[in-house]
Amino acid sequence: MKPVIAIAKATVGEAIRRRVLLIILFIAVLLLLVAPLLGVLSARQEQTVLTGFVLGIVQLSSAVIAITLTVYMLPNEVERRTIYTILSKPVQRWQFLIGKYLGAVSALAIMMGLMAVVSVLEFGVFHQDWAKGISLLQAYGMFFVQMSLLASVAICLSTFVAPLVNFFLTGGIYLIGTLGYAFFDSFNKNPNSPALGKGLAFVVSSILPNFASYNVQNPLINPETTIQNPTMYAINAVLYGVFYIMIMLIIGMLMFDRKEV
Amino acid sequence: MAAAIETKQLTKTYKSKSRNLTVVDKLDLHVEEGEIFGFLGPNGAGKTTTIKMLLSIIEATSGEGYILGKELGDFDVHKLISYVPERPYYYEYMTGLEILKFYGSLFGISDVAHMQNLLERVGLADARNTNKTINQYSKGMQQRIGLAQALLNDPKLLFLDEPTGGLDPIAHREIRDLILGFREEGRTVFISSHELSEVELICDRVAIINHGVIVAQGKLTDLLAGGRVEILVGKLDRGVFSDMKIEDGNIHDTPAGVLFDVPEGSDVNAIIDGARAKGGQVVSIVPRKKRLEDLFVEAVRNK
Ligand SMILES: Nc1ncnc2c1ncn2[C@@H]1O[C@H](COP(=O)(O)OP(=O)(O)OP(=O)(O)O)[C@@H](O)[C@H]1O
Ligand SMILES: [Mg+2]
Repeated sequence: MKPVIAIAKATVGEAIRRRVLLIILFIAVLLLLVAPLLGVLSARQEQTVLTGFVLGIVQLSSAVIAITLTVYMLPNEVERRTIYTILSKPVQRWQFLIGKYLGAVSALAIMMGLMAVVSVLEFGVFHQDWAKGISLLQAYGMFFVQMSLLASVAICLSTFVAPLVNFFLTGGIYLIGTLGYAFFDSFNKNPNSPALGKGLAFVVSSILPNFASYNVQNPLINPETTIQNPTMYAINAVLYGVFYIMIMLIIGMLMFDRKEV
Repeated sequence: MAAAIETKQLTKTYKSKSRNLTVVDKLDLHVEEGEIFGFLGPNGAGKTTTIKMLLSIIEATSGEGYILGKELGDFDVHKLISYVPERPYYYEYMTGLEILKFYGSLFGISDVAHMQNLLERVGLADARNTNKTINQYSKGMQQRIGLAQALLNDPKLLFLDEPTGGLDPIAHREIRDLILGFREEGRTVFISSHELSEVELICDRVAIINHGVIVAQGKLTDLLAGGRVEILVGKLDRGVFSDMKIEDGNIHDTPAGVLFDVPEGSDVNAIIDGARAKGGQVVSIVPRKKRLEDLFVEAVRNK
């Protein structure tokens, strides 16, 4: 376990110094700070709109950070030959991969944590509504699971796909997994859909990770969704995420083990 | 003595759609324990690929190999060896000590005093207590931090890929002394290089590889045997010696006199006596040692 932790720590150290990520983070925080001004535009339901915006900003920037952070992680190690020194030590390849993944997720937690603090303060200070601000944390928790899932998809793909391709591939999977679910759902429920299409939609939606289930808190995206038992829902979503992450990492480890580096 | 490295017909073929590229071809290497072994070859000869196979970073396509008596791929061997890649690069944001702490933790080593000693040993004592991070290190300092991390686990066998590439002459010399120090401590050192003068000075044995094939291997002293001696005799010309026969020797006329070019170990006294008897004047006797460079160029050209 020691090598895994050491590699994870080194990965965090690098990630939080990467300029691209810091710039994305900076823009995100800036947007969070100007979001209240946008809320004024629609006087009606100002809180709801603001909440939607804030959640949207955090989610989108977290996704961009998660993908940017992970697609270059393994290729960079090979390019800079840092991986050779590490693998010449008593470190197994799977330990390296897991260390990298845990490092990425930890860096993500730090960056998302910063955005969370900013948005909670925003609700508390500008709107004197600390309860609302703190209630956002639950949504952020779900986002974090979503982003960890996204990172595992990216790192798995990075063991056999070039970084730029991976960027768009993972981005595409995220979009389909987020927006496409509703589409597949209605497609499947529609009795007029062709059977072949239904089968295809079923296969695609079962293979692709379901990112949509982590978005329910956003009142703009899911205005009418009500969850009967939020605790059970959260537990289910987290378990699904962990399960999917494990599958992604196992595939990644198998691929990485054979890879010519 | 036991072999530190032994390979039998070790081969690496990179397969691509269009063609298969064999970059290391049936390599038979033998490196004794406690020696400095030079692995020489031109660019693209397959040196780094061989080292990667020996470190089990990549898998051999065929053949077998043993490191410290253990078959390639044996995980425990990694505790006893270490590696400094060519043009090494380390996590830029770390300081020298942090680098050592990082690599140390991969072995479960956390002795900071030991790390401080290593930094001093490789000549980074000045950088030891500053907050200088690796991206502020010069090339020479990066090469040194590489050697320091390679010593963390007190290795029996070190793989150094081009350890003096891009360094100034003073740094060259210091690194060379460090490597000689490793041998004194009983470590085996495997150096890949094309800095021939360097290798000539410190290696006990060498192998020359070209296009993935070993073209010469052995003790440096044996490989470099067979030098020549040149004797220049003035005031005479070649005709005087028309009846003189020297095995594998040549006699030429030069503006300065007659030049005898004979193998090392020929009876130089007899030639001089003969020349003097004919009224010649010995101008110079110059031993021409075979140099590694000649051997290298010869070996690489012949293929
Ligand atoms: N992953 C790979 N796929 C295909 N070919 C490769 C791969 N890695 C190396 N090669 C080829 O193998 C050959 C040997 O490369 P290698 O790096 O071992 O040479 P080298 O002797 O270390 O050269 P140098 O002195 O330039 O470092 C080169 O022709 C190189 O292009
Ligand atoms: Mg090389």
